[in-house]
Amino acid sequence: MRELGRRLAKLLRAGDLVMLSGELGAGKTTLTRGLGEGLGVRGAVTSPTFVIARVHPSLGDGPPLVHVDAYRLSGGLDEMEDLDLDVSLSDSVIVVEWGEGKVEELTEDRLRLRIDRAVGDTADEVRHVTVTGLGERWATADVSVLAG
Amino acid sequence: MADSRDEPLVLGIETSCDETGVGVVRGTTLLADAVASSVDEHARFGGVVPEVASRAHLEAMVPTIDRALKEAGVSARDLDGIAVTAGPGLAGALLVGVSAAKAYAYALGKPLYGVNHLASHICVDQLEHGALPEPTMALLVSGGHSSLLLSTDITSDVRPLGATIDDAAGEAFDKIARVLNLGFPGGPVIDRYAREGDPNAIAFPRGLTGPRDAAYDFSFSGLKTAVARWIEAKRAAGEEVPVRDVSASFQEAVVDVLTRKAVRACKDEGVDHLMIGGGVAANSRLRALAQERCEAAGIRLRVPRPKLCTDNGAMVAALGAEMVARNRAASDWDLSADSSLPVTEPHVPGQGHPHGHPHGHDHVHEVSKENLYS
Repeated sequence: MRELGRRLAKLLRAGDLVMLSGELGAGKTTLTRGLGEGLGVRGAVTSPTFVIARVHPSLGDGPPLVHVDAYRLSGGLDEMEDLDLDVSLSDSVIVVEWGEGKVEELTEDRLRLRIDRAVGDTADEVRHVTVTGLGERWATADVSVLAG
Repeated sequence: MADSRDEPLVLGIETSCDETGVGVVRGTTLLADAVASSVDEHARFGGVVPEVASRAHLEAMVPTIDRALKEAGVSARDLDGIAVTAGPGLAGALLVGVSAAKAYAYALGKPLYGVNHLASHICVDQLEHGALPEPTMALLVSGGHSSLLLSTDITSDVRPLGATIDDAAGEAFDKIARVLNLGFPGGPVIDRYAREGDPNAIAFPRGLTGPRDAAYDFSFSGLKTAVARWIEAKRAAGEEVPVRDVSASFQEAVVDVLTRKAVRACKDEGVDHLMIGGGVAANSRLRALAQERCEAAGIRLRVPRPKLCTDNGAMVAALGAEMVARNRAASDWDLSADSSLPVTEPHVPGQGHPHGHPHGHDHVHEVSKENLYS
């Protein structure tokens, strides 16, 4: 997951929205940690559940990473301004966990990653990731680099 | 009585998350602790939107300040300072408290102290058990934080020894309660079910406890996944999920790691006191196991009463009073809310006013010699 996040970092640029879905414990935050490393942003990427959203500024001249957990948000986010973030979203890479049905209105273009893990009490640590690019931004992008 | 009257009288404002807290203390004596549950249980269940929390703080702010002053039986004019949480927390929510604190401080002609939320969680114990021993080892566990901190002086030196690398302890409780359909917040309800369950029924993993793992860091994500999977397997097999045993075994895994690492940190650093703060400190099993292990290791345990462990204004006032007592520099009028204020900064001193400057306050409110409030 972490390595996938690092590879994902190479594909992303300011203004991109990534939506992560998957069961509790699928590895959404772990993937985001790799993404943060790949983007070279400040701070440890930990679960944003409690604070809803956390901004990780770039350590270089790249875009900041905005890590959102939409689980506790009651309704849809008509405007991300509701999150009270002090960064411009068009200048940032945004990753949203649990955002289905809540943040689609933000942009037509988004990259969707669905992480599936084995269900039940098993030692099976394999994760299956389904990547779907939506909108013009991703129509021509080559996501095959994610396969490594 | 004469002695206590000499101690600093400070009002503290806390708005880092979704409780509007205002406390008044004199030195290490609690005079008032007013909390407005700005977002009621129903709304919390549906979820929290930061912007909504900020608005709720705004509405609750002035009434809660008035209530705290009334409860304390003091006049705003008698205050020696106004303290406020400057961070970390939700940016918009913090801003409401900081703005209110500035307005009151300026109008009253009192020094302003922007302080750290985490250091406040430690300092609040002075209201319960008297002056903090120096050094103090602190285990802070809440919905947003899980940290081991060592402080030799709560106003100037707080050192992080370890923290969670993924989920906070309280968050793990909330998420497991979610999987078990027990509602939000998860801590109290899991605590309740766990009392009737067997903590050894299921061997859930203890994160980061291997010999090569970081000695003082925590990880609760793997535990969360293991518990979720165990429950899924039961459900898939059509069996009933033993909620009491799952709660007890999960809770045991969390508090086992927390207390084990905290006691180890005390031993390694040669500290004979451990304080536990933050919302999870209200957990009965954490208190019991910490007591047991501290006694065995010859460490004195200090845990404030539950109401002082969760977010409140009294803890901010307690740290503010300590800042005044130790002559720490007041904050400038351009103090800003810092959502990611590092734990190593117990307060935000004004520029050009070094720590311990004996006349720090006077410079800061030169602009407001007139008391606009009276």
